[in-house]
Amino acid sequence: MAQQRVIVVGGGLAGLAATIRLAESGIGVDLFSMVPVKRSHSVCAQGGINACNEVARQQGYSEYEHFDETIYGGDFLADQPPVLEMANFAPKIIDLLDRMGVPFNRTNEGFRDLRLFGGSLFKRTHFAGATTGQQLIYALDEQARRWEAEGRVAKYEFWEFLWPVIEDGRCVGIVAQDMRTMQIRAFRADAVVMATGGCGLVYGKSTNSVICTGAAAARCFQAGVWYGNPEMIQVHPTAIPGADKLRLMSESARGEGGRVWVPRKKGESRRPKDIPEAERYYFLEERYPKYGNIVPRDIATREIFQICVSEGMGVDGENQVYLDLSHKDPEYLTRKLGGILEIYEKFVGVDPRFEPMKIFPAVHYSMGGLWTRYERGSYQPASPLPGHKSGSRAPIGAEIGQGMQPGSPINMQTNIDGLYAFGEVNFAYHGANRLGANALLSCIFDGLFCGKSVENYVRDVVASKGQADQVPQGAYDRVVAQEEAKQKRLMDTVGRGEVAPEINPYQIHKELGTEMTAACTVVKSGPRLEQALKRVEELKERFARARLSDSAAWTNQSFSYARAVGDMLTIAEAIVKGSAVRKESRGAHYRTDFPERDDAHFMKTTVAKFDPASAQVSVELVGVDASLVQPRKRDYTGKSAGGSVEKKAAASPAAV
Amino acid sequence: MSNPIGPSWYQRNYFLLRRLHSLTGIVPIGVFLIAHLVTNSSILWGKFALRGDGAGKSLIDGGVYYFAKEVTWINEQVPHLLLIEITLWVSIAFHSILGVVYAMSGKSNTSRYAYQDNWRYTLQRVSGYVGIAFIFYHVATLRWGWKFLVPGGTQWSHHYSASTLALALRGSAEGMTTWGLLVSLFYMLGVTMLVFHFANGLWTAAITWGVTVSANAQRRWGRVCTGIGAALMLAGWSSVIGFAMLSPEAARAQENKLLGKSAHAVPESSSSEVPARPE
Amino acid sequence: MNLASSNSISAQPGRTIRFRIKRCDGPGKPSYWQAFSVSPEAGANVLSCLQQIAANPVTADGQRTTPVVWDAGCLEEVCGACTMVINGKARQSCSCLVDQYAPNDGDEITLEPMSKFPVVRDLWVDRSRMFHNLKRVKAWVPIDGTYNLGAGPRESHEQQERRYALSTCMTCGCCLEACPQFLPEANANKWDTSFVGAQVLGQAHLFNLHQTGEQLASDRLDVLMGQGGVSDCGNSQNCVKVCPKHIPLTESIAALGRAVAVHSVKRWFTSK
Repeated sequence: MAQQRVIVVGGGLAGLAATIRLAESGIGVDLFSMVPVKRSHSVCAQGGINACNEVARQQGYSEYEHFDETIYGGDFLADQPPVLEMANFAPKIIDLLDRMGVPFNRTNEGFRDLRLFGGSLFKRTHFAGATTGQQLIYALDEQARRWEAEGRVAKYEFWEFLWPVIEDGRCVGIVAQDMRTMQIRAFRADAVVMATGGCGLVYGKSTNSVICTGAAAARCFQAGVWYGNPEMIQVHPTAIPGADKLRLMSESARGEGGRVWVPRKKGESRRPKDIPEAERYYFLEERYPKYGNIVPRDIATREIFQICVSEGMGVDGENQVYLDLSHKDPEYLTRKLGGILEIYEKFVGVDPRFEPMKIFPAVHYSMGGLWTRYERGSYQPASPLPGHKSGSRAPIGAEIGQGMQPGSPINMQTNIDGLYAFGEVNFAYHGANRLGANALLSCIFDGLFCGKSVENYVRDVVASKGQADQVPQGAYDRVVAQEEAKQKRLMDTVGRGEVAPEINPYQIHKELGTEMTAACTVVKSGPRLEQALKRVEELKERFARARLSDSAAWTNQSFSYARAVGDMLTIAEAIVKGSAVRKESRGAHYRTDFPERDDAHFMKTTVAKFDPASAQVSVELVGVDASLVQPRKRDYTGKSAGGSVEKKAAASPAAV
Repeated sequence: MSNPIGPSWYQRNYFLLRRLHSLTGIVPIGVFLIAHLVTNSSILWGKFALRGDGAGKSLIDGGVYYFAKEVTWINEQVPHLLLIEITLWVSIAFHSILGVVYAMSGKSNTSRYAYQDNWRYTLQRVSGYVGIAFIFYHVATLRWGWKFLVPGGTQWSHHYSASTLALALRGSAEGMTTWGLLVSLFYMLGVTMLVFHFANGLWTAAITWGVTVSANAQRRWGRVCTGIGAALMLAGWSSVIGFAMLSPEAARAQENKLLGKSAHAVPESSSSEVPARPE
Repeated sequence: MNLASSNSISAQPGRTIRFRIKRCDGPGKPSYWQAFSVSPEAGANVLSCLQQIAANPVTADGQRTTPVVWDAGCLEEVCGACTMVINGKARQSCSCLVDQYAPNDGDEITLEPMSKFPVVRDLWVDRSRMFHNLKRVKAWVPIDGTYNLGAGPRESHEQQERRYALSTCMTCGCCLEACPQFLPEANANKWDTSFVGAQVLGQAHLFNLHQTGEQLASDRLDVLMGQGGVSDCGNSQNCVKVCPKHIPLTESIAALGRAVAVHSVKRWFTSK
């Protein structure tokens, strides 16, 4: 019998963790990535990774509280058992990363240092300098390279995932394209793990890397995989607007006394320093006298958004406001915020110690994603417990297997057998809003914990249905033919002469980003969403007529890009439709026409499905497993049952 | 390994060769260079080293006297001189040949990366090439007696070390000839390059051997090497200038004194050692 | 409005600048230069200008052409993908601000692919040699497996800072592009005897500094003693000057120089 093989698509934290776990169990892994895996988007995570630790535990913290915070932060939209499992498993992940050599910051005594992060009263965030994500992915990349050197892992870098091969209801491989030679070919596998991250590029510019188009997820979606909570898109309040992307500005800039303002006069042309105090509109301080500039993240985001988009008062007529630190002592700023101010200076060329920064909220993370299943673990209380009081004794210990059944083949498997979704690309764990420093955790957790599930699935399926190499070749050839036809259709549009903006894929993408940012981020409303849906339809129609400008049969980047634009349009449609169906406000999803959370009707997952016949997206609501902890009002103003103090949350480093 | 029949002798001994290359640059070549330049520069300071003997002499006369005495001592008193010389020649040949191989493994890029350190990288290689040419000329003409390469055809002799050297640099007894000037300039260039090569090599050797690890240590050692280089440069230049400007006639007077002869006696050993002196 | 209008950089708003780009259609094809006129947006960097060119690929003299191909990822200087040679020097194009490089109307910026790696197309090069070399020196910590075995070794604050600095290497290749000793080598069979360059030396040092990683130190030093190892460094120290992450590469080189010296003596006396 040939060696069992699994394909992992995506070489970020989730994909690499899965690769390592599978390789270790003796399964051969073919790892596909559009970039050398070391350059995956995980490198961008700055803040840290959460886990209960000994110090916090002795102060009253517990894995259970971490679980409760995550559910609460996610506004009770996440299915609870997997989150419990993740929180319980988290300390083991930190230990493992530590063993792999991640240079976690250290205390004077040589233990791992911790920092306070939004959403908790306890220091539970482990970090490595200002580039924790980079450090974690490098550690996993090194381990994967070790397996590659031993021949257990084969890397396919600069290969783009095109379509899953599904035969008899199970996934038996993929079709992918070499981005250099443009060769399209099928690969057999006993199981496929999608670990392809988020879809920030649907919004044009976001904090995401250029590869985060969501195209891979969109292709699975179109092939029949369900998509959960597409409307749940996290927006980070302070990012640096750039011509090419939006870069994070840590929230600690506000915590250290940064003041947010716009000129009172629309179309002001004076330099900020020349605008007298009386002509500056410190809108957060005026509208929220109690908290001023350190209002919670979602409020800051909404206000900045409204000042610019609805009231048109953005600096220089653009979507941006001033975040001003120039009134503070430059030396103090260097000491407290040196690193993050350097980032601004590097990418804007302006020293924020002397000139106000320009910032704007930016799309940052997709809580939603491919819909996945799990098998419940052993902890099944008779009725959900009331919310956990911070620092109180945890009702249960942190043994593994209470949330999800370890090794169950269906953990994080999509509705298609043998097709898994790990990391940001799935919809589990973060509900309606992700807590800072939980993203890295969920990615690695999926890879390690659910990697075992893939292993078991492969052993079972091979025993019952045989290996993928017994699947008839026709199943693969059909998908290859489909993708070749798709390519031919697009390539045939290449012609001489200028491409009219209307049918230029770059222009279509740009307009999609603008529309999605305006209608589907911070503030949504029924009528606006309807308008957005029409706009997406129009863009889809234009895309059907799109024209390309490069006929090269070698490394045709603009072709790959154009094809992804088509997939982004599909995801956009799911996001808009999901937003429209959810007639409430929850977490990152805020509807002006339904400003309250409505548990009775909407404590449910929006599940988007794609109908290949009509090419239409439909959305239905599916109940959430809230059997562990009772929902309660999410309130960070300082008096809440969850007990998280917003002031601390806002003052702590950015949740990234 | 790319080689299917296993690593070659060169590959197996790669590290040893690299480190021997580094080592030979310091011992014996570098040590010899210091001794050589110190001795040669005594043309300018030798008077002060003569203690009582130098009392009545002018600066140059004293220098010549001291220098000639030192050279005589080296050539007549130092034991196993030939063995020392062979060791030196072998070391220089080894260092030169490997140096050329190593230098050819890189490609200078100072036009794009015009950093001082990068210039020194390039200069280290250029100075190596120039140094090889210079040492060959220097040894061939003055030690092996390849007179045809010497303007004026002077044969150097350790009995008349100062005067014959002056003649070799000047091209004639009458004064500086055009060829003499070129030879002298070549000496200036050669000495400059070798001193740079040695001082910079001392700096890089400390990194190669891991003596200076931190950037600050490398900076500090760099200053020490600059100091060593400056001192040797001074010694080297004063030697060349001193001998190029030295009057062979005056020098020979001192040499004869040292040999216990009258100032006008004709040397015994070889009439060709000194060209006919105008009466 | 131009971002620069309200800050210390005096870039001319509404200006048009020129990009001279060294292009190549694929491996084995000849290189050629093309010029493009771009009116940079507010806060533009080289990458955003390339995006502009890709959307409407017309040369400065009005000829329609193919979009320029380049490699990019995070756009915030942590992934290393978008490295290219800008005005003669290697750097990331995402952090290369046009206001600083071409502040006046008519200013020119030249873009070339890195010269030490084979060109895939235009500005995109194949840096797989860098990843291959990481395998050569076993740049990893040899852990027993991913199952729970407790925490890793304790480590002093100073040691962590030393390792962190080395661990920020994003495999961008600037140090190799600037290194006069690291030369292009298209034949992958020769990579194992060609100079590894500062990137790998820094990584080998990083793993030798880790308590568990040190278990492979001897293997790493064996490789670095051989042809293409640390002795091939020519001490031009360009690497440390062009490193965008300011990694103290030359300190790693010196530390490895010491380590191989000690290792070789030890090996001579103790190996069987």
